[in-house]
Amino acid sequence: MLNELVYNFAVWLDDTRWSAMLHESYYMYNWVESTHVLTLMVSLGMLFLIDLRMLGYALPDVPASKIAERLSIPMLVGFTIMFITGISLFYAVPVRSAQSVWFRTKMVLLVVCAVNAYLFHNRMNESVSSWDNDARAPSRIRLGAGLSLGFWTIVVICGRFIAYDWFDCDYEQSAFIEFFAGCVDGQERF
Amino acid sequence: MPTAILGPYTRTILTGAVIIGLLLFSFTYARVSVWIDVQPFFEWMETTWFGVIGKTWGAAFAVIEAIHLIGLALLGGSVIVGEGRILGFVFTDVPARTIIDRAHKVFFWALMTLLATGIFMACGVAMKIYYLPVYWYKMLALGAGILFHFCIRKPLLQRELEKINPWVTKAVAISSLMIWFTVAATGRWIGFSG
Repeated sequence: MLNELVYNFAVWLDDTRWSAMLHESYYMYNWVESTHVLTLMVSLGMLFLIDLRMLGYALPDVPASKIAERLSIPMLVGFTIMFITGISLFYAVPVRSAQSVWFRTKMVLLVVCAVNAYLFHNRMNESVSSWDNDARAPSRIRLGAGLSLGFWTIVVICGRFIAYDWFDCDYEQSAFIEFFAGCVDGQERF
Repeated sequence: MPTAILGPYTRTILTGAVIIGLLLFSFTYARVSVWIDVQPFFEWMETTWFGVIGKTWGAAFAVIEAIHLIGLALLGGSVIVGEGRILGFVFTDVPARTIIDRAHKVFFWALMTLLATGIFMACGVAMKIYYLPVYWYKMLALGAGILFHFCIRKPLLQRELEKINPWVTKAVAISSLMIWFTVAATGRWIGFSG
């Protein structure tokens, strides 16, 4: 039932004029997608530097709290831009995106990354005064940083895989894939 | 001897001359004969292990491409932090030497990741990119970026920063940001072409 709700909502979005205009535009879609990909350099670039600092692989001479504090603003600006462009990309092709196993996995992982970031941030603030100038953070913080690196890598991989049609609903799929992708029996839009 | 004639900026001038020479060459017909000469190399690339794996398993190609994007994120991050410090936007209370040197380490490994994954991807689609003008634009930009970074920027910034004209360092920082953004943008453009 949830899958049908999602499908119906995606079809409703697909029927809007702006969705068709964005999807069929020669330049606009490319600009939005390019902005989404290139803003990785800002958002993930800052995030990875913070994580690598905690692991002791980057900027070990700079206090960890300073790295996290100073780089978090450009990181959040980058994520805001990626969020806006990501919504636009979904809106341009809503049905296929909503029924993409890779898109769904990516969305779940984004929530996981947000939770990990929240826990990491809290743990860091509680204890940073004792290890701020150390080259490597304590093991719990390093775990959070390592998980962040891993999850975000999988987010990027899933984002890249969205373009591939191996598990699309308009092909014959296993029952598990049909459920996970949210394929609806008799659906006419793909 | 070039040093005697060109003075202390010999390496910068020669590197600039090489980059300008490459750019001028790319706008002449001489590039066509070179382009024809390298075709057998691109045909060979597709027959290598990288080429066969990339063409046979789309998933492998996509994973390597995603790692290429991770490398791009790291390179972009290190360039933004390093050049941002020179321009006075970030970490102004941390010695510039510390930020520049540490950011360079991240930059180096990010560049190695990009080159390794880029070679893999190029082998998988060698004949397609051979005919794509934007691929050659990217290689030009990449070559210029590598030459600029290692032959102009790094030697300049290894000197005592207080003794360098601040306008020179700012010009180098802005040039670096523009070059690497151009590399990233032309790389993205490849995806839209062909």
